[in-house]
Amino acid sequence: MERSVANEVVKHVKEKKPWTVGRVLTNEYFLYVVSFFTFLIVWHYIAAAGLLGLATPEATLKEMVRLMSVRLAGKNLFGHAWASSRRIIIGFAIGAAAGLPLGLLMGLNKYINSIVKPVFDLFKPMPPIAWISISILWFGIGEPSKIFIIVIGSFVPCVLNAYSGIRIIDPELYDVIRVLGGNRRQEIFYVSFPAALPALFAGVQISMSVAWTCVLAAELVSSRSGLGWIIIRGMKLTKPELVLGGMAAIAVVAWLFSVAASGLEKVLCPWKRGIKEL
Amino acid sequence: MNPKIECRNISKVFIQKGKQRVHVLEDISLEVMHNEFLVILGPGQSGKTTLLRIIAGLETPTSGQVLVDGKEVTGPGQDRGLVFQSYMLFFWRTVMGNVEIGLKLRGVDKKKRREIAQHYINLVGLQGFEKHYPHQLSGGMKQRVGIARAYANNPEIMLLDEPFGQLDAQTRMFMEKETERIWQTEKKTVIFVTNNIDEAIYLGDRIVTLKDKLPGRMDAIYDVPLPRPREHTDLEFVKLRQEITDRSELVL
Repeated sequence: MERSVANEVVKHVKEKKPWTVGRVLTNEYFLYVVSFFTFLIVWHYIAAAGLLGLATPEATLKEMVRLMSVRLAGKNLFGHAWASSRRIIIGFAIGAAAGLPLGLLMGLNKYINSIVKPVFDLFKPMPPIAWISISILWFGIGEPSKIFIIVIGSFVPCVLNAYSGIRIIDPELYDVIRVLGGNRRQEIFYVSFPAALPALFAGVQISMSVAWTCVLAAELVSSRSGLGWIIIRGMKLTKPELVLGGMAAIAVVAWLFSVAASGLEKVLCPWKRGIKEL
Repeated sequence: MNPKIECRNISKVFIQKGKQRVHVLEDISLEVMHNEFLVILGPGQSGKTTLLRIIAGLETPTSGQVLVDGKEVTGPGQDRGLVFQSYMLFFWRTVMGNVEIGLKLRGVDKKKRREIAQHYINLVGLQGFEKHYPHQLSGGMKQRVGIARAYANNPEIMLLDEPFGQLDAQTRMFMEKETERIWQTEKKTVIFVTNNIDEAIYLGDRIVTLKDKLPGRMDAIYDVPLPRPREHTDLEFVKLRQEITDRSELVL
């Protein structure tokens, strides 16, 4: 289909080619499957040969299925996954609620930036896990100390990305608002915030992955629940299938979190969706 | 009749890195009549963009003043619309969202601003693309949005800063035709900045040339009495083209 719009021709084309052996072999989804199964097969043979102290994929999967019904320390696999997720959701929410506005303010106001930046730069390179002892000292070994680590961990990338999201905005975009008769407040609401939104989401994604690192570290140190605790439990009982099962569960849940964040980004940043009609 | 825009002895010096002085414009004086299409023609680095930004109110002149309807310009205002060289569309807004933004800033209600924006989207020939985002459009279409956005705010003066500089030659010629058509449909006082002689002669009622190299100074003013629409191959067109080229070569 072809139509002429403003003297510039727009073509609608759907590519259709026959499936040949060569095309199947070079198809990206086919290669994804090949890659995944090769990984499982290599893993299986290493484990079956008794090398590296691994459990086979089948044993790991069986253990995970078993954990869905059998309770460990009062919780099944879903219970433990929720225990970890809950810590992340609370910690991340607090970290982002504090970090994103602070980063935006630092980007928008040079005085706030000058006041906050020196102190922030001091804490920035510090790994969040370094806070574990202090956190336990302040909050004990319960939930608040674990959440505190996650707050610290997700706070930093949120601040950094919100700040740079504002700073990279082309200053001429503000001129557009100015020549149309807008004021400073309108510059912020109609340019700064929407233009920085993709950067905020980048910060959110990074914060999420940092949050997972933090929650595991916290659970490895002191806990009676969570996916990190399952791994420690497997280690203490010398059950490699339990360790690997915990790891696999973390991969799945962390992936779901990142999918959720990408989905939210697609809803809030519709301009980043692919070209649909052209 | 009083001029619509009057520039009186405008000079501009930028201070770079706290101490370096860059002299960009020197003693620019010009008048633009009501509904006149004035082209400012100058090579790169001749201060054209700065002059336009001063008239728009985005920069303040170091000395001299700009008057619109006899009143001094102190900042940007709704009476002057600006079309940017690099489009400067809001990538997070659709074509409709971009065109209606000026009306939205002024608090025009949704139904009314949709109606006005649609009128200008149609005027620039983008009907059917209201829901597209800028990254889905070609260069020529993007600048159409830029023009519609400025027009929708209903300014009395349109300032265009090398609007077709990033387009290929074919699209550029077509966009020049479109610019003339749009201007004929809804007359405005226009200042159009370009570095392209053909574009200048095709569009301008008058052409002001700037000397090359900073600081930009006025060189000459040419009247273009040719009837519209003009032909690039017209004898008078070619003669004027030669005249301007010869003169700028003397400068070089």
